[in-house]
Amino acid sequence: MNSDKHLGSIWKKRIVRLFVFPVSVLLIYGILFVIMPDRALLAIRSSGKLFLIILMPLSLVFILMVILNLFLKPTHIAQCLGKGTGIKGIILSATAGVISMGPIYAWYPMLKTLQEKGVDSSLIAVFLGNRAVKPFLLPIMISYFGWTYVLILVVFTILGSIGVGYCVDVLVKEKPANHLK
Amino acid sequence: MKIAIPADKPDLEAKVGTRLGTSQYLVVVDLKTMAFEAVTSPAASGQSISGIEVVVLAISKKVNAVLTGYCSPTAEKYLSASGIKVLTGVSGTVSEVVEQYKNGDLLKDMGVEHKSESRRTKFDRPALFHALKTSFNQFVNLLPILVGVFLLIGLFNAFVSKGFISSLFSGNRVLDTLLGACFGTLFAGNPINSYIIGGELLEYGVSLLAVTAFIIAWVTVGLVQLPAEISALGFRFALVRNAASFLMSIAIAFTTVGALNFIKGLFF
Repeated sequence: MNSDKHLGSIWKKRIVRLFVFPVSVLLIYGILFVIMPDRALLAIRSSGKLFLIILMPLSLVFILMVILNLFLKPTHIAQCLGKGTGIKGIILSATAGVISMGPIYAWYPMLKTLQEKGVDSSLIAVFLGNRAVKPFLLPIMISYFGWTYVLILVVFTILGSIGVGYCVDVLVKEKPANHLK
Repeated sequence: MKIAIPADKPDLEAKVGTRLGTSQYLVVVDLKTMAFEAVTSPAASGQSISGIEVVVLAISKKVNAVLTGYCSPTAEKYLSASGIKVLTGVSGTVSEVVEQYKNGDLLKDMGVEHKSESRRTKFDRPALFHALKTSFNQFVNLLPILVGVFLLIGLFNAFVSKGFISSLFSGNRVLDTLLGACFGTLFAGNPINSYIIGGELLEYGVSLLAVTAFIIAWVTVGLVQLPAEISALGFRFALVRNAASFLMSIAIAFTTVGALNFIKGLFF
């Protein structure tokens, strides 16, 4: 019973968090339609145009999501993250970051457990840095910035995450088994 | 063939654990040689653990079956997806259960046919249905904020002049990139929103350097989630990682745009 209540409250919080922003924007539109209907109409047309432009890449995003969900399971990410040492450890943690999906909050408990088990903080930092590379969102990114830019950005983001991992390795003084060398 | 059994002690005379996720040990028995290995379960730490870790442990031990008192539907789903058979409602000592399994008694009791350990194909219908359902949920979760962003950009286009946005950015490459990284640090959420906002900022004449720093900082630096990161991974880690990621977002912006200009100069 308590667990049902707890789940209910989590869902309520989630729904509020998801809808508070769009509902606030809609309220602004509501007010504008009353005081400046012409400009509000212009704004809604502009939004509509933007939505039409993004519709095709957004459909691709959904298809990529299905493919990734079909082949990648959370167990794969858990098997990669924090395993191995040296270059292998970095590659595995970076891979785990790239293929991980969902909000970062969902990953904190697992990262905490891994840190307590002795997985080096630098590998956790590499994982977090690589969350910026989202394969299923690439169609949207390419539609805005072009594939050359996206390709370069992905490479430098991965390299940058290793740089951040190195900084964490040097500045966070914990030296268990699997740290960057 | 190897089977994994959760247990309260690290030997064959231990009682089979009632729950896979809370038992202290996972006893892995090789049915051919009857050699066994008792692995300390992640649950033994006494701290709250992610159930998925016990599943990962079983998978990493390359077991063919898990025999337990109870297994959560999620854990069972992931084990099955990895080709591991799950038998629940099992009780007694580890050695008794192993013997029953070897004789096929357990399977008969549960009305399960003894099949060879054929692995499920990855293209089976339930897996596809599950992937579609998960993707649909992820997509639906993404939409409300995305629609809000579209509507807000519409408002910006109708009410805010390009001159105003340009006035926020000085035209100085370093300062603009720093400002882009600061904006990215302040906001959080799905990266798709940062791409759309970044793309629109470009339309307003904001430099690609500032937009790149904004996009990278959006995901890698999180002021909003900083308290959660501190609580999970420690103050020092969170502070160092976020500060390094902030500086790195600026470095990535310069190297990316520099490389892009170099490639454009070569080929276009």
